Amino acid sequence: MRETALWISGAVLAFLATAGAFLLLANLGTGPSERNLRPDPRPGESGHNLQLVLNQDRLTSLRALPGQEFEVGVRNAGDEDLSHVNLTVEVSSENTAFSNALYYRENVNELPAGSSVPVRFYLDLSVAGSMASRSASAFPEPPRKIIEVRATTPEGASAIKTAIVPV
Amino acid sequence: MRSRLGAAFLLAVTLLLAGGCLGQAQDTSIPPLPAAGAGVDAGLGPEAQPLSYGPGYKGSPSFSPQGSRIAYVVDGYVVDRLVGAGDTRRWTTRDFVAEDAEWTFEDGLAIFGAASGPVPADEASRSVYLARSGEESLGVRELATDVLAMSPGPEGEGLIVALQTGSYQSEVALLRDSGAVDRIYTSPLGGRVTGLSLSPDSRKAALAVRTAGDLTSFELHAFDLRTGTHRQVVRLEDGLEIFGAPQWTRKGICYVVGKEEASSGTEPLYDVFTVTPGSDVPKPTPGVGEDFVASSIRVSPGGERLAIIGRLNPNAPINLYVLDLATQTLEDLTVNEDMEIKTGPDDLAWSPEGESIAIVARGALSEEPRVRAAPKGSLLEDFYNLYEVPVEGRAR
Repeated sequence: MRETALWISGAVLAFLATAGAFLLLANLGTGPSERNLRPDPRPGESGHNLQLVLNQDRLTSLRALPGQEFEVGVRNAGDEDLSHVNLTVEVSSENTAFSNALYYRENVNELPAGSSVPVRFYLDLSVAGSMASRSASAFPEPPRKIIEVRATTPEGASAIKTAIVPV
Repeated sequence: MRSRLGAAFLLAVTLLLAGGCLGQAQDTSIPPLPAAGAGVDAGLGPEAQPLSYGPGYKGSPSFSPQGSRIAYVVDGYVVDRLVGAGDTRRWTTRDFVAEDAEWTFEDGLAIFGAASGPVPADEASRSVYLARSGEESLGVRELATDVLAMSPGPEGEGLIVALQTGSYQSEVALLRDSGAVDRIYTSPLGGRVTGLSLSPDSRKAALAVRTAGDLTSFELHAFDLRTGTHRQVVRLEDGLEIFGAPQWTRKGICYVVGKEEASSGTEPLYDVFTVTPGSDVPKPTPGVGEDFVASSIRVSPGGERLAIIGRLNPNAPINLYVLDLATQTLEDLTVNEDMEIKTGPDDLAWSPEGESIAIVARGALSEEPRVRAAPKGSLLEDFYNLYEVPVEGRAR
């Protein structure tokens, strides 16, 4: 009788020990990879260490005139130095019937890790006049200006910011 | 011996449970990101899915007869795209001033507007143009001038148009898919047609007619397309106007009627009225509710339901509703979270099978600049964009 009880108890303990070991291994196997998961980058956030900063106060001061000063902060938030950061600013109208977008380009030669640099552009934000009256019925509101800033490096880092500015 | 075995058993069970609980806690620690173009909640409720992106003043959506494509007007020109995916395809040049676009068949669009010259005044007539896909020149062919209103023709083929024949006189004509005139009805209407739509059996048309006079004066007419005769169904009180095209349903003709408020800056209050068959007395549409403020309506394919953009009461947000005309039940299809839903008479469209509705909306405008970490072409709520809202199974 005692032997039977010992055999049953031993079998139960062996089963529980095996099951516990498998559970422990399963947790060890999945735990670190779950913690290391990173969400997919959103569009425009593909650069892991390049950041663009647009100052809200400066955006508010923009007017629908030529020669508007527009400052972009370019920041290297990574651990490695970056070089030849190409900046492209596209100025377009919210009214897509206006096809006359303007493009501005600048280059930052060196951007050490952890550093940031302001880059200034002088934008023409004057209202396009050729189609303004014609499109009034198709676009009954004053169209806003759209300023799209892209930064890329030969190393593959990139960043994008789009400002929608009522002017 | 027994007590040792029992203690070991209890210890093993405790470890087993603890291990299981730890695993559960880690599984829920990372929130998922919505996939691009699917599951996006842009402030209209989780079921509304975007059909367009990027800047542009969009409106007048229209599903293709097969429902696979949707056309719309953006900043005056006309584009279409596959529902759910794909790039936009432009149908007109950018200097076009289109106000409405309707599919006449799978590869053709009827466009109501002006192709060249100065922008017509609000009260002036327009032209109707035919554009076909696959024509690389973006050329359009003018089908008719002096057009006051248009609607897809009987059985979805061709067009029915109201033509201006005098300062306050209109006639109705049927155009074939090819653009050729099929029939001109010579019995004139004493006024300017401001909107028209076909009955569910395609034999009649309901017309809103603005008559001459110092004060705003509107009549509702029923036009028999077989005999060419028409009759006045209702004459509204002076000062009241019919907004958009009256909609001929299985339960009668529904229309949005209202009066501009005397004080400027306040929103006009519009109600939905119905004239039932055999009666010439308009009554508030059953099921809508007496406090409801309607903006635009559109009858479903088959005529059994009515899509309504409006407010449950003057202080409620604008939402999309579907009224089941048989059961008189009103279902809200959107959950508006600070979005501006466009309320123009052509800014909503049923899919051909009636399983979804396209509307146009954007986030609340701000006087402050906004900065987004995305290219302009992928932005959604910053501009008017099209959304598809499923209906099937929610409001039958």
